[in-house]
Amino acid sequence: MSVLETVLIYGVVPLVIVLLFAAVTLFPGRSKDRTKYRPGQSWDYAPLWYEPHPDVPGVVGGHAEDAPGAGHAAPRLGATASALAIGQRPHVPEADTVRRTAAGGARGTW
Amino acid sequence: MTQQLNRQPAADQHGPSATEKTGNSSVMEPGSGPFSYRDLARLDEALTMSAKETGLRFTLYVGELGSDTRATAEDLHARSGGDTTNSVLVALSPGQRVLEIVTGTAAARRLPDRACALAVLSMTSRLGAGDLVGAIINGLRQLSDAAGHPARRNAH
Repeated sequence: MSVLETVLIYGVVPLVIVLLFAAVTLFPGRSKDRTKYRPGQSWDYAPLWYEPHPDVPGVVGGHAEDAPGAGHAAPRLGATASALAIGQRPHVPEADTVRRTAAGGARGTW
Repeated sequence: MTQQLNRQPAADQHGPSATEKTGNSSVMEPGSGPFSYRDLARLDEALTMSAKETGLRFTLYVGELGSDTRATAEDLHARSGGDTTNSVLVALSPGQRVLEIVTGTAAARRLPDRACALAVLSMTSRLGAGDLVGAIINGLRQLSDAAGHPARRNAH
């Protein structure tokens, strides 16, 4: 084995492999598709608010629910609503401000 | 694609795909937003599927929540439209590193606070690693698993 062959096999080939993996991992286009967020950095985007797709059948509140015969999976009145429908009135008067609707939930920080 | 609700509806803020009822479809302008097409598609599927499976109306808010995050989140929940008793708001503020889940009265019976806290716990651990979309999708999956299927009222 000549000196040239030795250098090619033991020097150039491992170098090419290392550079190949380096190029694959450091390829800039890969990170373009990911949402860029690191904890602690500021969030400069406008507020976003998403609701489920309204046209999919079975989604409560969707447009598809309005179609006759499509409401088999949509619960309409809960126990509270049924009780109030019998004749009671809710104690809270209808104020100008938005009525509080929250009943529970959880919060967390990271 | 998932529809985007307007926090403060303005008449002249509608995009090319806007209707009278909804704001712009999120897919039309992802370049300005924080999420890519693929992330938006995943969020859309997660939201729609969890809403379809549970019969609850899940909405997702990503943005500033003000100084009193809980009050802001409850206010958003009250204005989320549709049947608010049956709706669940997942609100997260990445800038403040706060996550709030708000349930309506009917939704709280299906989703007790303990189930919400469990979802929050798994979401915050992912959010701490910077995985915004993964946290949201897994949180929604956990919430819909906890809520289960809607009771069939007309099954008799």
